[in-house]
Order: sequence, then C-alpha cells, then structure tokens
Amino acid sequence: MLSVLLRIGSKKLWTLFFISVISFGVIHLAPGEPSQIDPLNPRFTPEQLERYRKAFGLDQPLSVQYVEFYRKLFTGELRSFKDNQPVLPKIVERFWNSFPLFLVGTILIWCYAFPLGITGAIRRNSLLDKMTTVVVFALISIPGFYLAYLLIIFVVENFHVDVIGIRTFGRGGVPAVLGLMDRTWHLVLPSVLGATAGVAVLSRYVRSQMLEVINSDYVRTARAKGLDENTVLYKHALRNGLLPFVTMIGLLIPGMIGGSVIIETIFAWPGIGRLGYEAILSRDYPIVITLNFMAAVLTLVGTLLSDLLYMVVDPRIRLEKAE
Amino acid sequence: MAAPLSPSRLAWRSFLRNRTALAGMVACILFFVVAILGLVMTKGENPILDPRQVRLADKFRPPLSIPDGDVLPAEDLPRLGMYLLGTDELGRDVFARMLEGAFVSLSVGFVAVGIAAAIGIILGGIAGYYGRVRIGIGTFRLMTVDTLIAGLIDVFLSFPTFFLILTVVAVLKPSIWNIMVVIGLTSWTGPARFVRAEILALREQDFVQAAHALGVSGRAIILRHLIPNALAPVLVSATLGIAAAILTESALSFLGFGVPPPDATWGNILADGKNFLFDAAWLTIIPGTAIFIVVLAFYVFGEGLREAFNPKLRQL
Repeated sequence: MLSVLLRIGSKKLWTLFFISVISFGVIHLAPGEPSQIDPLNPRFTPEQLERYRKAFGLDQPLSVQYVEFYRKLFTGELRSFKDNQPVLPKIVERFWNSFPLFLVGTILIWCYAFPLGITGAIRRNSLLDKMTTVVVFALISIPGFYLAYLLIIFVVENFHVDVIGIRTFGRGGVPAVLGLMDRTWHLVLPSVLGATAGVAVLSRYVRSQMLEVINSDYVRTARAKGLDENTVLYKHALRNGLLPFVTMIGLLIPGMIGGSVIIETIFAWPGIGRLGYEAILSRDYPIVITLNFMAAVLTLVGTLLSDLLYMVVDPRIRLEKAE
Repeated sequence: MAAPLSPSRLAWRSFLRNRTALAGMVACILFFVVAILGLVMTKGENPILDPRQVRLADKFRPPLSIPDGDVLPAEDLPRLGMYLLGTDELGRDVFARMLEGAFVSLSVGFVAVGIAAAIGIILGGIAGYYGRVRIGIGTFRLMTVDTLIAGLIDVFLSFPTFFLILTVVAVLKPSIWNIMVVIGLTSWTGPARFVRAEILALREQDFVQAAHALGVSGRAIILRHLIPNALAPVLVSATLGIAAAILTESALSFLGFGVPPPDATWGNILADGKNFLFDAAWLTIIPGTAIFIVVLAFYVFGEGLREAFNPKLRQL
C-alpha cells in the first residue's frame, strides 16, 4: 500500500514540475518581453527600459527567472507588476469572492446532473428523456455570454431588480439580514449560468455510463435471479455506474475557473476569473502565471484525492496498482 | 441467410434510426453548403455580396428594410435590393457578413480540431503501441513511454483550458491562425485518450499478431491496421470539438481576443452586436441564434455517432 502511495506521489510531483514549466513558459512564448509592451511611448527611453528590466529581473536568462519566480512565489515575496502589491493576498481575497459562486455552482451541478442522467438512462427514449436531452443540448450550444445577456434582460425587465455585481450598488446602512438577502439574490444568476454547462456535460456522461451498465451481463443476471427492478437498478447498476464519477471531482475545478472569466466579466463580479482577465489586459505577468499555476495545482490535488478515493471504493484498482 | 453486417454497417444502421442525430447531420451539411456559398459570394475583387461595404447613411437598418436609394450611389446598393438581415453600426450588410463569417467560423473549428486530432492520434498511437518501452538516459531507466504520455495528458487536463487559451492568445496577439493553433494545441487530450485506449485493446487481437508474424513493421501496423480501427471515437470527439471550438472563438471575441477585424466570424459579429443590444437587437439575436443552431447540430450529430459506434449504447 505504501509503495503504491509513493508511486502516485512521485507521478504527481512530475506533473507538478511540468505544470510549473508550462505556466511560466506560456508567457514567454511571445516575441519580445514585458518591458517592450508599449514601444511607441516616448517616455520609455532605452535607459529607463534597462532600469525596469533590472528591477524586475527580466535581464536574466529564463532558467534563472524561472527559479526566482517560484522561489518568490513560495516565500510570498512575489509582487504584482501593476501595483506592487503582494500577489498571494490579492489572489486569496479574490478567491473568497468567487468561492460562493463555485460552491453554489458545484452544488447545482451535482444536484441536477445525477438525477437527470440516471432517469434519462433508466427510462431511455421516454418523453422525459427526450425532453431533457433537448434542453441539455440547447444549454451547451448557446454561447455563454449570449445566454447571460438574454437572462439579464429578462430578469431586469420583468422583476426590476439589480443583478450586476456582488451587491446592490450604493447599498449601505441596511440591517444585516437585508444585506445577506441582497448578496444571496446577486448570487443567483451568475451561479446558475456558471452551472449550466456543467449540468449539461455531466448529465450526458452519467446517462451514457448508466446505459452501459444497464446493458451489461451482470445486470441481466440480477434480473434473471428474479430481483425486483428497484434493487437491480439502484443497488446493482447504480453503484458501478457511478464509480467513474469519483474521478471527476478534481476535473471540475479547471472548468469552473476558466468559465468564471466570462461570467465574472459580465456580472462585474470581483472574483478570481475577473482578476485573471484584468491581469491579462494589463500584462501583469506574476498574477497570470500564479493563477494558471494555482488552478492547475488545485486540480492536481483534486485528482490526487479522487485517485485515493477510487482506490478505497474500487478494490480492482487497488489490486492492479499494487502489482 | 444474409451475411452478417460489418460493425460499421451496423453502426450506420443504428445511426439512421436516430431521428435527432439525423436532423443534426442534415443541419451540419447545410451549414457546410452555406459556408462554401458564403466563401464564393463574399470573396474576391468584386464579390456578389460585399461584407466590407460601408454605408454610413444606412446604418442600423432592421432586417428586411429597403435601402435609401436617394442617398446611396447606385453601385453601393445591396444586390438583393434589401438588407435581408439588416445592417450594423457601419451600415455593413449583416447578411453578407454572416455568410463570410460562416466560412471563417467553420474553418476555425476545422483547423483547430484537425490539429487536436493529429496530435491526439500520434501521441495516443505511440502510447498505445509502444507504451511498454522504457525510456531513459544511458542505462538509467526513467519511465515507460506510456507513463510519459499519460503524464502529459494529466498536465494538460489540469489547466483551466479557457484561461490558458486566453493567456496565450493575449500574449501572442490575436490573429485567426493563433486562435486556431492555440485551441488545437490545448484540446488534443480527448482524442489521445480515446486512441490510446482503443489501440491497447486492438493490439492484443489476432489480426495484429498475424501482421507481426508476416514481418510488417511497427509503424505500418500502427498506421495501416490500428489507427483506422481506432478512428471512430476520434471522429466523434472531432464532431463535438468543432462545436466547442466555435463556442470558444465566440467567448474569446466577447473578451476582445477573438479573430480581429476585418475578418467576420459569427463570434465577433455577436460580440460587437451586444454593444447595441437595446437599439439594434438583431445584431445580437441573428449571430447568437445562428451559433446556437450550428453548435446544437454538431453536438446532436456527434452524440448520435457516439451512440451508434458504441455497441453498448447502440439501440437495435
């Protein structure tokens, strides 16, 4: 068991190394470098450029810059190019703004995707299955921002409420209960929109996974034994059908962070996706690299946890890996 | 008794029975025709429908409106005698721009998916066939080929793809080629995993052993015998990939990093149109609905293929 854990651990460390290289390297793909971002600006004389390059360590070879970058990141010294604030507190603050969105979005995804997918598979080709299929495909086919605009217009025209931002603009001095209600209301649209694609994709996976299991031999055997349909479906089929989804917990993270760029831009939500977008616009490389790196590391931790979970729930994997 | 049908014939028969998927396929073919027509009608020195013709006197005309013949010179009038889908903020004909954009959007999807599929097939093929070969420096054996490629897939799955694409496109300056290449380079993991899994199963089969015994080289076995048999899942993920690429392009356009003007794509027509949502709703609704229908068609078509090619999901 210990050797299995060690092997998984070393594999993840390799992955981590490549992730750090790619996060850092992507920025340096472009010809030129950050100091040349505005070559036409007359205030940037060559001497000044040289000074900036020295100040930010851009005159050193890439390998040195790479080591320096991660040393600073882990010691917390890394500072944003834009306002010279430490990067980590900035990201952590924005993360807590995004967290309610991620949380509600994830809960919505899991609460809707599984029932939809499972009933779709069990009652294949029923009216319900056909309707959810249509709705699900419609939801993933609309460009996210188009759907968001349609929904915003619909809500604002019909309910006359403020939906943009994390709270109503200029709200202050109201009792805490009303403030909480305001925050909750502002959470509804962005988290529903953030969850739509996830619900659609995951419910399709669940459906086809369940279909494969329902058509397999051991389920037929269970029926042949004379078990009643509920026991066959929910005790025999469901348990195996849902196994692969243990691994999907980790893989949901990158989608949420990537998707939050659009949603948070539309809703002026001061979260992590918007921070990333602003950093890209202002070429604030430390923030961009750190965000890419941290998202990938979070996913890595997520997949590590689900690997371990998988070993707990599925003895076949445990034995295969121990060989 | 009739001879048993081949697996691909079986798949095809099952596909034809799926009405929704069939409708998706028809819609995809229609989209191809429109895109090709669009290319023919809007390109060249003196195109039939000029998407770049600016008519400031006729800006923000709603769909089906008749051009103002008094102000515009005769050669600037639209060939159709009216603005079928209205005009935009520069008085350009939206119908012509949508036709031009159809081909550009389609080629973004195709090239991106082509790149992704090529990388996926090559890496997946190598991982599947040569997976057990160990690589290393000198006598020190580091890892197997399979570990390396599976690790690479893990790395790419860990990144928030859309944010990574946004970063690269922003750093490299948005251009239509950069966007195609970047989407392609970040979405090869799906095809690679499918091909690898498929080849792992195929390589143990008798016909591969027979090819071995006949002295066929490893490369020829992969290219001639294994990959053609492993293509079905790639085809499916390519169909879904085209849809995803069209959506990604429109999302990039929304953030200001899409295909830059003067090339029109459905994504950037939509992204520009949203600025005039309340004054000229057709500038948003027309491209939005067009993207919706085409992406939906590709998804439904791809899903139908997937069910047809997977014997466990097939309905007979």
